[in-house]
Amino acid sequence: MTEQIAGDFLSLLASRQLPVLSAERAFTAHNASPNAPVQTQATTVFAFHYKDGVLMGGDRRATAGNIIVTDKVDKVIDIDATSILAIAGVPATAFEMARVMQTSFEYYRRSQLQNLSLPAKVRALARLLRENLPMTMQGVGVVVPLFAGLDTQTNPPQPLIFFYDPLGAQFQAVGYAASGSGSGSIRSILSYQEKYGSPKPSEMNLQQAVQFTLRLLMTASEFDAATGGINPETNTYATIKILDADGVRTISAEEQSGFLKAK
Amino acid sequence: MNEEPYRWLEAVENRREYVREQLKGGSPTFGVKLPDGILLVAIGSGNSKVFELFDRHALAALGHPADIEKIRQAAIDAAHMEAFTRAPEDVSLRRLVGFGLSPQLKTNFEQIFSAPFLIEMLLAELHNDPANDLLVRLHFDGSFEFATTPVTVVGAHPEPEKAAQTWLNAQLAGKTDREQIIDTLLQAWWVMRENKSFTAPPSEEERRNGWREATKDRVLEIGWLDRKLKRPARFVWLSGDKFGTK
Repeated sequence: MTEQIAGDFLSLLASRQLPVLSAERAFTAHNASPNAPVQTQATTVFAFHYKDGVLMGGDRRATAGNIIVTDKVDKVIDIDATSILAIAGVPATAFEMARVMQTSFEYYRRSQLQNLSLPAKVRALARLLRENLPMTMQGVGVVVPLFAGLDTQTNPPQPLIFFYDPLGAQFQAVGYAASGSGSGSIRSILSYQEKYGSPKPSEMNLQQAVQFTLRLLMTASEFDAATGGINPETNTYATIKILDADGVRTISAEEQSGFLKAK
Repeated sequence: MNEEPYRWLEAVENRREYVREQLKGGSPTFGVKLPDGILLVAIGSGNSKVFELFDRHALAALGHPADIEKIRQAAIDAAHMEAFTRAPEDVSLRRLVGFGLSPQLKTNFEQIFSAPFLIEMLLAELHNDPANDLLVRLHFDGSFEFATTPVTVVGAHPEPEKAAQTWLNAQLAGKTDREQIIDTLLQAWWVMRENKSFTAPPSEEERRNGWREATKDRVLEIGWLDRKLKRPARFVWLSGDKFGTK
């Protein structure tokens, strides 16, 4: 049973007598209109603070119903030199949101000769989600992304993590955030590691953080058929990007393989 | 006046003279095609003469700041519109100049009752293969040429511009060291600024001391379209600190 919290998106759906989007069902096609096409979706994406910045990772599987569409989707996307988006939900809508953000942030930077501020970037994504509400309500376009950006108002610049609800509400994550059908198990592990683990995610160096990320995805894929996990035998790794004071960097499959094998 | 061809021609000629007169004190800018990228160099006040337009495109200009701003915005709008409706790979300098900027500049120049654009500029496009790199010299009247030599100069007047370009192409032939190239460009900048000759130019020491003295309170704007960068946006600013300017 989904917990009802007054004022949140799920309460709104309940008050309108609309099918409730539970955490599990939000990422399946069960809420869709009977006439809607089968959607390509499902995911595990997450972000956490490690010692030198923010790490954002995601599996690479896309599913439509019980069909695995591909295991080569990049769900963690560079938006510009200092921000990253992780998408969970319907890729058709999510990729378009990413494209709108990429173009509008770069357009602003080039035309105004200054970077768009982090609060404005965070709100731009909230606005896109809000504009997508009709599709979300129809159950054919739900997107629940994560966003990480560099706050340049602090010295040195500080990478921050934000998560959203499908209505567009934005929240800053203190230590970590996760989204997608496999995020439940990930959140539990992250919470445990943050409280009782050693090292805590925020104390991990890059190698430890990447290792931890790959293990998280392997665990998520054991409990969620729609999460691809990783498979070193077929050289299938995750999409991992890090954001620090120098900007965004992608951790390649070769680097991930090396980190995974390292003791 | 419009009904009388001779007077119209005279008006256009007067307009050309007026624009050149207004641009007379403009600070020259330079573009150089190199194996690792394209270099754009100017002396200005910071964010005033060299600009990023799109992922692989940049602009260097001299002229009235308001006109540079108008052209820059038009180019950025057109490039981003093209990239969003099609793809970033479809943004091309040929289309941007040939179908966008050049016709607008020509129309504006020939509308003799409106103010002309006071601008001379250079646009650059970076490709994966250096042989495909483009530098386009676009004039205030909308005419343009695709550069056939590695170095392109933007000057207020055609003669010193051509002389500087010839001299620089000879001086920089085969050179790839960016610091050395920037130093030579600044020497040419000083020679142009001082209205000195390129056929019998001052000594290298005099030229170097000249540009160092002349740029003391100004900003060296160095834009670099970097072929080796892995991200889509290839434009980076290079610091002018090591050259003793801001």
